[in-house]
Amino acid sequence: MSSPSTGSGQALLVVEDVSLAFGGVQALRGVSLEVREGEIFSLIGPNGAGKTTLFNVISGVLRPDSGDVRFEGRSIVGRAPHHIARMGIARTYQVVRPFGRLSVVDNVAVGALVHHRTIEGARRDAREIIAFVGLEPLADRFAGDLTLTQRKRLEVARALALRPKLLLLDEVMAGLTPSEMDGMAEFVVGLSARGIAAVAGVEHVMRLIMRISHRIVVLDAGKLIAQGDPQAIQNDPAVIEAYLGAPGGIA
Amino acid sequence: MKIALRIAAALAIVVLVLAPLRANGYVLNLLYTTVLYVALAYGWNIISGYAGYFSFGQIAFFGVGAYTTGMLVANLHWQWTLASLAGGVVACTLALPLGYIMLRLRGPFFAMGMFGMAQMVRVIVTAIPATGSGAGLFLPPGSDLSGVYYWTLAICLGAIALTLWIDRSAFGLRLQALREDEQVAGTLGVDVTRAKIVAFALSALIPGLLGGGYALSLTYIEPDAVFSSRLDLLSIVMAILGGVGTAWGPLVGGVVLTQISEALWARFPQIYLMLFGGLLVGLLLALPRGIVPAIAARFRAR
Repeated sequence: MSSPSTGSGQALLVVEDVSLAFGGVQALRGVSLEVREGEIFSLIGPNGAGKTTLFNVISGVLRPDSGDVRFEGRSIVGRAPHHIARMGIARTYQVVRPFGRLSVVDNVAVGALVHHRTIEGARRDAREIIAFVGLEPLADRFAGDLTLTQRKRLEVARALALRPKLLLLDEVMAGLTPSEMDGMAEFVVGLSARGIAAVAGVEHVMRLIMRISHRIVVLDAGKLIAQGDPQAIQNDPAVIEAYLGAPGGIA
Repeated sequence: MKIALRIAAALAIVVLVLAPLRANGYVLNLLYTTVLYVALAYGWNIISGYAGYFSFGQIAFFGVGAYTTGMLVANLHWQWTLASLAGGVVACTLALPLGYIMLRLRGPFFAMGMFGMAQMVRVIVTAIPATGSGAGLFLPPGSDLSGVYYWTLAICLGAIALTLWIDRSAFGLRLQALREDEQVAGTLGVDVTRAKIVAFALSALIPGLLGGGYALSLTYIEPDAVFSSRLDLLSIVMAILGGVGTAWGPLVGGVVLTQISEALWARFPQIYLMLFGGLLVGLLLALPRGIVPAIAARFRAR
């Protein structure tokens, strides 16, 4: 793994001053960020910081109260989720949500249908992706029968079937063992090498995330409190105080 | 195995087609009732089984088909099959705006909403003077029962063919995905609104086409007869008993239940409803997911 350089590509996704409140709870407060082509971008923040809400806004599930989201220069605020997915933004869910009564192949084929007219073509594509994420022996099982780790991989496989330019990974590391985390990190680096940008939402600041990320932003209570390369984040006093608790407390 | 099933299916179709030549009135009537229920169950199964939107109001489209046919035949002297076809087109067209509105509701809200919607459609249809309002509408005799039976059989076979196609198509996969999780289906590129509305319109087309034949078989229609909650509920129960969202569930459930119902009615007319109700509860407790999924699970377990 080479040491991460700042993403070299141009801005793929621009989030500009996005705010969103649920009733009295301000989930996002004027969040702005930029993700470049092929970069690994980590979104760090404790539970409730607004990571999932931000993913929901980018993927079109939620509409922000104010602010703009642009993908490849075009505003995507107010567009239907399927439209945004077809433009090249895929996502996974924090709480895995497989289509339980469909086979693993069909779970992945749903996304592949965006690029195929026939179900046969979509299933062929799906099998390749399933092999790529290592679920091949389980391809014809019901998704509801998979273990949590397998479901996590299925989430990623379904998202990849869209052939995205940008992949939003909500809590990719949660629930994984250390060796599985290494595998996931390797996987994200592989995607980046193929030009797919990844936004990884993670709760804890891990050495692993520091190592693979090109850039990191830290969210706290809906507000962006720091942004920069891993080095800068580790030394940012606001991060250390608000999030890490004590100097040098990077686990 | 597959070939044996195909031969059996072909034989069944031949028997069903030739039946009116030999069958007496009672048998023909039973066959007609069976194919009518099976076809209704197939219609319901598209929106409620594949797309997961439980509707208690599909009978509205049956009533619309019946009244459209009734008006065209009684007032404009259309040939009845053409009029029935028009009934299907009207029901399907009506389903587009209704679906657009109603499919924003989910779960029990959609189910109850459709129940209310069916009542509204019924009131509106019967408010049109040409439908004879509450007093009803007489239809000139256009066909004997065998003609209506053939019409219904054709629609039933068409509904089965349509379902088999959906079961294997990209469209069907999209429906099943949105049934499992609508939000996830959307973020995976499925235009969920469009898929739901198309499914809803197909689920309206089938009862819409059936309504005309039914009206003709009655020769006199009034609101209670064609906006029949009995037809609605029984066809839903058949689809559920056979297996919701399966390609063969409505056929199996429909055939099994119409025969059981008929046998009980013939032998125990006084306590028919009690027996039929008790049997339904027992069957659903024993096979909560339906007959077809239970058989499929048995085969997979081997």
